[in-house]
Amino acid sequence: MQRRGGMTWRVLGAVVALGALAAVPMHAAGFGIFEQGTKATGMGGAFTAQADDPSALFYNAGGLAFVTKIDGSIGFTYIHDTKAHLTGANPFPGDGYMADQKKLSAFPPHAYYVQPINSTWKFGIGIETPFGLTTQWQNPHDFAGRFLSTKASLDAFDVNPTIAWQVTPNLGIGIGGIARISDVELDRDVPVNNPFTQSIVSGASVKLKGDFKEGYGFNAGLLYKATPDFSLGLSYRSKITVNYTGNARLTPISTGNAQLDAAIAASLPLNTNLPVKTSIDFPAMASLGVAYSFTPSFLVEVDANWTGWSSFKELPITFTGGPTNSLPSSVIPQGWKDVYNYRLGLRWQANPISQWRLGYVYDQTPQPEVVVNPLLPDADRSGYSIGYGYSGGWKADFALMYLPFKDRTRSHSLPGDGPFFGTYQTTAWLLGVTFTF
Amino acid sequence: MHRVKKLASLLALALLLTAGAAFGQADFSKYVAFGDSLTAGFSSAALLETYQANSYPALLARQFGISGFQQPLVTAPGIGGTPGVGVFTLARLVPTPVIAPTPGQGVPKNLTLPRPYDNLGVPGATVHDLLTTKFGGFHNLVLRNTDPNQAFTALQEGLSLRPTFVTLWIGNNDALGAATAGTDQLLTPLASFEADYRAIAGAIAASGAKMAIATIPDVTTIPFVTTLTRFIINPATGQPVLLGGNPVPLIGTQPGDFVLLSATSAEALGFGIPTALGGNGMPLPGSVVLTAAEAANIRTRVNQYNAVIQAVASERGAALVDANAALTELATTGVDVGGIIYTSAFLKGGVFSYDGVHPTRFGYAFLANLFIDAINAKFGTDVEEVNLFPFVFGQSSAASSSVQVTADDSEAGPPFVFTDEARRSLLTSLSVPKAYIDGTPPVQAPKPKPRGHGGRKG
Repeated sequence: MQRRGGMTWRVLGAVVALGALAAVPMHAAGFGIFEQGTKATGMGGAFTAQADDPSALFYNAGGLAFVTKIDGSIGFTYIHDTKAHLTGANPFPGDGYMADQKKLSAFPPHAYYVQPINSTWKFGIGIETPFGLTTQWQNPHDFAGRFLSTKASLDAFDVNPTIAWQVTPNLGIGIGGIARISDVELDRDVPVNNPFTQSIVSGASVKLKGDFKEGYGFNAGLLYKATPDFSLGLSYRSKITVNYTGNARLTPISTGNAQLDAAIAASLPLNTNLPVKTSIDFPAMASLGVAYSFTPSFLVEVDANWTGWSSFKELPITFTGGPTNSLPSSVIPQGWKDVYNYRLGLRWQANPISQWRLGYVYDQTPQPEVVVNPLLPDADRSGYSIGYGYSGGWKADFALMYLPFKDRTRSHSLPGDGPFFGTYQTTAWLLGVTFTF
Repeated sequence: MHRVKKLASLLALALLLTAGAAFGQADFSKYVAFGDSLTAGFSSAALLETYQANSYPALLARQFGISGFQQPLVTAPGIGGTPGVGVFTLARLVPTPVIAPTPGQGVPKNLTLPRPYDNLGVPGATVHDLLTTKFGGFHNLVLRNTDPNQAFTALQEGLSLRPTFVTLWIGNNDALGAATAGTDQLLTPLASFEADYRAIAGAIAASGAKMAIATIPDVTTIPFVTTLTRFIINPATGQPVLLGGNPVPLIGTQPGDFVLLSATSAEALGFGIPTALGGNGMPLPGSVVLTAAEAANIRTRVNQYNAVIQAVASERGAALVDANAALTELATTGVDVGGIIYTSAFLKGGVFSYDGVHPTRFGYAFLANLFIDAINAKFGTDVEEVNLFPFVFGQSSAASSSVQVTADDSEAGPPFVFTDEARRSLLTSLSVPKAYIDGTPPVQAPKPKPRGHGGRKG
C-alpha cells in the first residue's frame, strides 16, 4: 500500500511536468477541456451521476465518498485537429482569402489518487487540465490576421486535493481545493504603414508571455444513489482568477527597405523586455446529472452542465514599464455568455471484464459573434463518442470522440472594432486512454 | 377575361416584389459621380490612372456590377496642378522625409470618348463650379468643352447621361483652399454655398436619379494642417531644439496655430527661425500658418455647410455619407481594420497620400465602403463592400522613386521637406488663387500677424 502510493506520487509529479509542457487546443466550448477521464469521455462526458472511478475528483467529488480502496489512475486525451480553416469575407480579409491553423496534436493529461481514510471519510488528489488553448496560424507573418494574433496559447493545470464524506450508504458529498497553475502566451505582428509602397507590412513581431502563476478555488459535489437503479449527481467547480505577470518582446521584421527599418527602430522599443500584466477569469462550472440502469448491465446518463463564461469579460493587456519601456496598453473585449451543454451517455457491461460506452454531447459556444477572431475562433459543436473499458488483471479505458464544429461566421463588429470577417471551420478527433492501478 | 386580368396584376405584383427584394429601392444600372478631386481619384497631388482606377466612384461602379464606367484616365507620371509637375513621391524617409513631385506630365488616355465621362469629379471644383463652370483648370480635361457656345457644366454633362443613381460629394474646395493657403478669406460664403448646393441637388432630383451625398470633412484635421508643430525641430533627431531648456517656437506663430506642411520650404530658407539658430529671423509668412482663429472660422463654416448638406439629403431622400464623421474618427481614435489602426497621421497613418490632403488607394477604398454602407442603409440594398485586402497589403504603383533631392540637415530646419514646387502644384490643384500661392517666400514679406489672441477678421 505504501509502495503503491509512493509510485503514484512520482507519476503525479511526472504529470505535473507534462501538464506544464502541454499546449492544448480548446475542445470544450470556450477554452475548456471536459475530457479529464477516459471512462467519462466514452459516454460524452455524462458522468456526474456515476462518478465511479478516480476521475470522480473532476466530474463529481461526491463520488469520492463511495471509494472503498486505494486507486490511482493516469491518462491523457490525445487531441488532434483534422481541420482548422478560415475563409475570409468582405471587407477584410475579403472574399477568396483562406488560411489554416497549424494542426496541433496535444496530450492534456490527468492523474488521480484516491484512498479511504475510514469507512465514511475518503481522500483524493487529482491533477487535471480543464482549460487550455492553442491557436496557431500557418505562415504567421503572411497571415492576414497577424496583427490580431499569430499564436495564442494557454496552459493550465489544477492540483485538486479533495475530501469526501459518505453521509449515508446512499449519499456522498465531497469538497476540494483547487490550485490552478497557468501560463499564457499571445503573439502577433505590429503593423507598419510602408510609406514608400503605401501598404501595410509587419514591422516587428511581439511575443507576450505571462509566466506561470497560481489562482485558487474550490470544488464540491454530491452523489445520491436513490435506488440501486437510479442515481443523481451535482457538481460545482468555482471561478478562478489567475493574474499573470511577464514580458512582451518585440523582434524586428525586416521590411526590405533600410530607411523604413531605421524609422521603425527609432519608434519601437525593439529587443527589450517590456513588463506586462494580464489576467484571465476562468469560469465556474456546474453539472446536474441523472443515471438510470434499465437492466443490471445497461445504464443511461443524462447531464446538463452550466459554465459561467460571463466571467470572461475581457483580456486586459497592461504594460507597466513606464513611458520608455512600454507599448500602449489595451483591453481585448470578450463579453462571453454563460452557456449550457448537454451530455448523453450509455454504457453496457458486455461481460465482467468488458464495458462498452457510447456518448453524445452538444456544446454551445459562449463567444458572441462580434468577438470571434483569429485569437480564439469558437463555435458550437457536437461530439460523438465510443468507449471501451477493460478490467481483467489490469484496468484500462479507451475512448474515441469525433468533434465536428458548426461553421462559425463573423460579419459584424463591436463599435470601434474593425472587421476581420469570415467563416471558421473546425473538426477534431479525441482519443482518450486512462490506466487504473 | 376578368380572371386573366386579375392573374396578370397578381403576376405584376409578384414581379415587383421580387424586384424590390433583389434590388432594394435603388437602381444602379446607370451611375454618375459628381464631385471634385476626391471624386476624381486624385492622389499625391495628381490625376494618375493607377489611382483613378481605384477612385471611390470606380470602386462603387464595380460593386454595383457596372462595366464600362468611364473616367478621364491619365498616364504616368500623372497631371498635377502646375504644368510639368506629376505625382508626388516620397523621395526619402530618414532622417527627414522628402516629398517631391515627379517631373513630367502624363497624357490623357480617354479623350475621344464620344460621350461624357461617368466620373465627373473635377479636381479643384467648388459647389459653384459644378453648377456653372465649363472651362479652366481640370475642367478642360474632364468636361472636354471646345466651343464656348456649345459648352456644358459637369452637372449638365452628367445629367445628359440619364443616370439612375448619382453620388454627389462637392464642397470640399469651398473650405480646403482656405485651410491649405492659411487664410479663411477663401471660404465660400454660406449663402451662396447653400443656394448653389440646393440648385445642384434639385437638378439631380428632378432627373429622377436616386442620390448618395457626402458631408465635407473638417479640413483642419488633415495632415497638411496637423503634421508640423509650431516648435523648431532638429531634423536629425526629430526632437525640439531647446534654448535655455525650452522649446523654441517658430517666429510668426502663436499657441494654437497650425503650421502647414507648405511651411517647410519657407523654413528651409530660414523663415520662422531665429538668427541664433541659423535662420533669417523673419516670421513665417501667413500663407503657411493657419491661426487658431482662422481654423476655428473654417470649422464653423464647414459645420454650416454640413448642416445644409444634411438638410438637403433629408429633403431629397438621399443617402447621407458622413465623410466628416469618418475623417474625425481617423483623426482621433483611428479606424481599426483587422488589428491595423489607420489614422490621419502623415506617412504613418495609411490613409493620406504624399500631398497630405488626398487619400491613398486604401483611403479611397475605405471611402467607397462608407458610401456603400450609407447606400445600403438608406435604400435597403445589399451592395457588397469592397474587399480591402489588396488595398491593405497591395503594392502601389507609385512606389519610391529615384527623384534626387538634396535636403539640408542643419541643426534647425524643417522636419519635412515639402518642396516649393510641390506646394505650388498642390495649391493650384485646389484652386487656390495665384496671388495667394505667390504671396509666399522667397518672393514677398510676410503678412502681419496680430499678437495675442483674436486673430484677423475674415
